[in-house]
Order: sequence, then C-alpha cells, then structure tokens
Amino acid sequence: MITQVPHPVLEVHDLTVSYDQHPVLWNVDLSLPAGQLVGILGPNGAGKSTLIKSIMGLIQPTSGFIKIFDKPIQEVRTRISYVPQRESVDWNFPASVLDVVVMGTYGKLGLFRRPGKKEVQIAQDALEQVGMSAFAKRQISELSGGQQQRVFIARALAQQADLYLMDEPFAGVDMATETAIFQLLQDMARAGKTVLVVHHDIHSAMNFFEWVIMLNLHLVASGPKDQVMTEELLRKTYGGKLNLLTQVTDLIRKQDFNPLKS
Amino acid sequence: MTLDTNALLIILTGALIAISCGFLGVFLLLRKMSMTGDAISHAVLPGIVIGFFVSGSQRSLEVIIGAGLLGILSTLMIDALRKKAKVQLDASIGITFTLLFAIGIILINLFAYKVDLDQECVLYGEIAYLPIDLWITPSGLNLGPRITWLAGLNFFLVTGFIYLLFKELSLTSFDEHFSSAIGIPAKGVNMALMSMVSYTTVSSFESVGAILVVALLVVPPSTAYLWTKSLIPLLRLTAALGILIAILGYYLAYWIDSSIAGMMVTVAGVLFIGSALIKGNWPLGHRGTSHSSPAFDS
Repeated sequence: MITQVPHPVLEVHDLTVSYDQHPVLWNVDLSLPAGQLVGILGPNGAGKSTLIKSIMGLIQPTSGFIKIFDKPIQEVRTRISYVPQRESVDWNFPASVLDVVVMGTYGKLGLFRRPGKKEVQIAQDALEQVGMSAFAKRQISELSGGQQQRVFIARALAQQADLYLMDEPFAGVDMATETAIFQLLQDMARAGKTVLVVHHDIHSAMNFFEWVIMLNLHLVASGPKDQVMTEELLRKTYGGKLNLLTQVTDLIRKQDFNPLKS
Repeated sequence: MTLDTNALLIILTGALIAISCGFLGVFLLLRKMSMTGDAISHAVLPGIVIGFFVSGSQRSLEVIIGAGLLGILSTLMIDALRKKAKVQLDASIGITFTLLFAIGIILINLFAYKVDLDQECVLYGEIAYLPIDLWITPSGLNLGPRITWLAGLNFFLVTGFIYLLFKELSLTSFDEHFSSAIGIPAKGVNMALMSMVSYTTVSSFESVGAILVVALLVVPPSTAYLWTKSLIPLLRLTAALGILIAILGYYLAYWIDSSIAGMMVTVAGVLFIGSALIKGNWPLGHRGTSHSSPAFDS
C-alpha cells in the first residue's frame, strides 16, 4: 500500500542502506506531498532513524538516491531542518538554552559570520513557540528530558526551514507536552511545511498524523492515514513483536473490529 | 626574587604558550578528545625529524609542515582504527601515538649523524635558555628571544582561529550530526582544530617540551570547567589560569632552582587538585546539604 504523489517535496528512490553488509533498509521507494504531518512507524531496528539520516545525507546509501524539492540534498540544506535523537549529544555541554537555539540559524549564516540581533530574535521566537521562553538563560545541563526535547525542536524552528525531519522527538516527553508539540507541528503543516516524525506510539499516531509511513526493513506502507492504518498493515509492520502487538490489538478494539472474525 | 627582563620574557612566553594550549584544550575537552591532544603531541615527532632532515634546521617551516601533516595523519589513523577496525577509542589512541612516536625515535637515531636534534629538548624543553636564543636579523638587529616571537605568533594564530571559527567550533563540539545536517562541515572543522593543535605542539615543544604541552592542553581547561558552565567564561578562566601558572611556575622554579616547565605543570596540577577538592562531590565534604556539581558527572 504505497501511494506515490505528483510533485513531491521528498522522493526516495530504491534506497538500500547497509552497515557492514548487513542491510538495515531494503529497497525503499516513496514520495511525500507538501504540507503534511508525516509519521514514520515501525518496530525497533526497523530502519526509521536510518531513513531520516539517509535523507539528511548523514549516511551513504548502498544504492538508490534521494531528491528534496526536486534537487539533491546539498543544494537545499538550508531549507531542511533536522532534530536528532536527544541522547545523541552530551547535555553537560556549557551552553544556555538560547545558545543552543541560536545554533539553528548557523546554517543560513554560513562560515565565519556571527549571529547578531536578528538571529537572537529568531531564536527567542522559536522558544516562545515551544513554550520555553522562561528558560532562555538556563544552562542546558539543568533541563528535564522533555525540556531538552523542546529545546531541540526550537532549534529546528529557528532554522526556518520548509522540511523538518525529527528523530523520536517525543521520547521521554509527557502527554501534555506531546499534545502541545503535536499541535505546533500541525500548525506548521497547515502553513505549508512538511514535517516527518519518527514515532512510537500508535494511538497518538492515529490522532495526529495525516500521512503515515510504515517501515520494517522494507517499506510496508506509505499513504494517507485513513488508508494505511489498517489491521493488516500494522500486523505486517509489527508482526511478531509481542508487546507492540498488544498495542495493535488495543487499537483494533478501539476501531471496533474483531481480529478473530476476520 | 627579581623582576628583570629575562624573568618577564620567560613568564610572557610561558603564559602565551599556556593560553594557546588552553584555548585549544577547551575545545578538545568539550569534544571529549583531550587524549587526542596527547596523541598528537607525540605523534608529530617523525614529522619534526623528517622536516629537520629535509631542511637541516630545527627552525624551519618544513618542521612545522611535517609536524602538521603527522598530526593530521594521527587524527585520521585514530578515527580509522575506531570506525573501520572497530577498536576502542582509548586503545586506538594508544596504538597510534606510540607507533608514530617510536618511528620518530628510530628516525632520530638513523639520522643522528646528520641531525642535531636533542631528544631531551623535544621531550622536556628548556624555557630557561630562552633569553640567550636571540632572533638576530641578517643586518645584525637584535629583536629579542626567538621563542617568545614564536609563542606570540602561535598565540595570535590560535586566538584568531578560535575567534573566526567560534560558532563552528562550538556547534561541532556540541552536536556533530546537526552541524553536518545544516551544512557546516564537522569533519573539516575537526581537521582544522587538529592542525592547530599539531602546530601549537611543535611551536611549543622547544620551550616546554612535548610531554608538558599535553599538560597545558588538558589541565587548565579541566580546572576551569570545574568552576564555570558557560563557554566564554570557560575560555577566559582558562586564559587566566595560563597566566597564573606561568607566573607561579617561574618564581617557584627560581626559588627551588628547578625546571620552569616542570614547575608550571606542577602548579597547574596543584590548582586542579585544589579546585577538584572545592568543587567536587566528596562524600565527607558537604554531607546533607551538598549541591551536586554536574561537571563531575561526565
């Protein structure tokens, strides 16, 4: 169930990625429309982060290619933003919240140029959007996990990009914050931005995403939520993973169909 | 205890070297690469010998270039061992710098008849001879101690480097992936930093020696990091410590008639231990009301 779209913002063609000859992504081929909030679902080790990193050009694919806004990534880097996993950095780094968010503007600034008033203003607006203005001067080592995550999202916002790639932005975030951030992402999508989110929770995925990519080494599905969030495709994606299967049955119960009958 | 010109020159030179090393050391520390600085300072030896052999002079550009190339080579080798051969970082550092250093020793022995390179000098340095090693132009003009000029040039270049690339250095130290993602070349910035470390090592080895350069790269930034959690104050404090170390090191060495470079590093070590005693989480120290210091967690 893979829906291809005309005039995509992002196209991935026959992408295969392997680490030490061990494939982690196999023949992924998809395209995404603009202005959508897109969820990437799949069990652990399905290649979700690898897909994001390949799109960002941080990993060399074994084969295949990627086009963003119909161009190779190198030509459009300033239009793409990236939120890495929170654990990928050391939060003891001596910097304030504002320092980190200003880093989002560095790509557009280019080499040697220093951030000025304009960049600080952009960063402060981004902090406002994620509800972290009060923490601007705080050292990042003094933040909670959810606050760190919001700082990373603010940094991405400060980039003022058109395509956002977020690697598990909701890991360690409480429900209230998750809903607030989801609403922010929905607003961004409505404003024409495309937002790709690696996500774990199928329930909130049902509620918030408009387009869903399901991944398990292979691409299982890519299309509008209503068409791809089916029992069959979820089973195909998570098949065999017990604890996740429970979540799937929860979902099925919610949707009012009985797997034993079908 | 006097403040004559010689004392002033030695202190000035020591402070310039300590600040240059400290500034670079701050970024090595933040990248958790302090021991890479150690590796570079030893791995440059074959480059120095080859540069010396090619040019026939210890004071030539070839020596600096040779050392710079070897410094970059050692960084690449450490990286390759770690990523391609899957060797632990500490082990790959140990393998790389001992191998290159040993090759340097063998080269010194092989070329010993042609190269007047004092191993003692490379390893330990002697800042005390600085006032008699003058830079005299062909026309006979005495411009003062050569090593002070070298240290000044080094200080100027290191400070300029950090000033120009401050934004890139801090971003790549904090989040390498993000910086690559937004188009700031993390690998290039890293190579530039490693080149500066190599150059600084060579420029300083005559005065403080290759071993003691390591101490200046690691100890003052680590001490400052115990006291502050912001980058700019961290750099300022590191510089202040560098000056303090040079002054105290000189006078204490003068007082007990010992090695100035050795005393500088001893002072640095004592300052670090003192700071660690004050700022660390010692179980006996502030029981009950202890404020945890995140610096010690990492």
